[in-house]
Amino acid sequence: MNLPARRLPGTAILKLLTVGLVTLGLLMGGACSLLDDDSNGDRLTVFVASSLTDVISDLATAWESAGGPGIVEVVGGSNHLAAQLRDGAPADVFITADAALLELLAPDRVPIAVLDRFAANHLVVAVPIDDPAGIHGPADLQRTDTILVVCVIGVPCGDTSFERYGDLPIDSYEPSVRAVVARLALGEADLGIVYATDVAAEPRITAAWNEPPACPCVAYAAAAMTERGRPFLEFLESDRARDVLTTHGFAREAAPPGSP
Amino acid sequence: MSRTPTRAPRSILVVALLGIAFLALPVVGLLQRAPWSSLDDLLGRRAVLDALRVSLTVSALAAAIVLVLGTPLAWMLARVDIPMRRLVRALIVLPMVLPPVVGGTALLFALGRRGLVGQWLDRWFDITLPFTMAGAVVAATFVALPFYVMTVEGALRTMGDDLEQIAGTLGASPLTVLRRITLPRLLPAMGAGLALAWARALGEFGATITFAGNLPGRTRTLPLATFQALESDPEAALALSLVLLAVSLVVLLPTRDRWLPTR
Repeated sequence: MNLPARRLPGTAILKLLTVGLVTLGLLMGGACSLLDDDSNGDRLTVFVASSLTDVISDLATAWESAGGPGIVEVVGGSNHLAAQLRDGAPADVFITADAALLELLAPDRVPIAVLDRFAANHLVVAVPIDDPAGIHGPADLQRTDTILVVCVIGVPCGDTSFERYGDLPIDSYEPSVRAVVARLALGEADLGIVYATDVAAEPRITAAWNEPPACPCVAYAAAAMTERGRPFLEFLESDRARDVLTTHGFAREAAPPGSP
Repeated sequence: MSRTPTRAPRSILVVALLGIAFLALPVVGLLQRAPWSSLDDLLGRRAVLDALRVSLTVSALAAAIVLVLGTPLAWMLARVDIPMRRLVRALIVLPMVLPPVVGGTALLFALGRRGLVGQWLDRWFDITLPFTMAGAVVAATFVALPFYVMTVEGALRTMGDDLEQIAGTLGASPLTVLRRITLPRLLPAMGAGLALAWARALGEFGATITFAGNLPGRTRTLPLATFQALESDPEAALALSLVLLAVSLVVLLPTRDRWLPTR
């Protein structure tokens, strides 16, 4: 028995192909207009160093109540954000804990304005609130029976930690200071090196011992990457913004280099 | 018996080629940017060798655990009439679709020092998984296990249990059936599943960094080292990516055609 030929005539194939291609085109067009979602269009995109996680929302509120456009916050390790910017990530403002990173943005992304050292922070050794390992003083940093976590080298808090405390028996290098805070807050680590502002903001952690603020410390710099970002830099210099920063425990300016 | 290969309509081939191009392009991108001239120097670095050693150790141990835990699990799913099979299977597949960072966080809440089970491990046995290589193995096993179980379960279902039934009626004990009939027929699928799981374990990032942390020589695997180098030393990141690519290919290439059950 002869089966009927299943081959489609040439014109039918052509028709099918056309319909397929048109459908594909429509789908892609639809997808593009979906992906091109402009809901962030009138908002200001601010890339902000991890250690400013808590303060940035208060700053944004103050800025918006002063009539500024809404803010989209992108929080991460300063060097991670810088790498994203270098690769073309859209940002109107970049606030970094390490001003040197701004120079690495060249030649592709040169800031159009920079506000250097508008706030400062210093490191402290922190423990979970119940201090499971019984940490008393700097000597405990060298203990090997504890779990010590710090920021990874390359992130400002990691570089500064290394500069200040030298080689330590570290158990994990975390990608950002907030990750270190989370390890301590969850009680997974016994001690960690974080910023003074983190200890003030997170009730589940506390400073391991009292020590006066000391450098090396970090100074924050803000860079306007677009013309739209420039007013935000002016805002950061205003009394209102300074009050917010001070409330969160940030120093007004970095101590001069070399001071204790 | 030889069959004539299916004649493919050209339009399908075009789209299929498009798919191949989409998957191959990133690899080509990686290869053309690779720092071939300084590769020797980059690959000889301690950081690269450490990460390679950690990755191989962690993924091999994870693959071994996957084999031991996964085989009975796949067999049970395919052959035993368990209650709520759908729910059980969904649970097993979950790590495949869950963002690994979520998996890592979940592991932390379960097996971390203050976790549901972890606190007892810590208190009674003085075992702390986070920040140890064992923790990295746990994270890798968590994400890799479903790949093995699904492959092997699928094979068990496809091959059916006719031969096993017959052997049973001829007087073979269940263990003999398993040893002489089921396992030999299952070997190709086990190999394929193991290769998939092993490759997945090698590439694991999110659960590892969340649960096991990141310490050179202990928990910093190739993916973690690559992520880290990307910002500070892109050349080294490329070299690390090449190593990862090569190792993954070594694991995957011999398997697909030879081991996957052909019908």
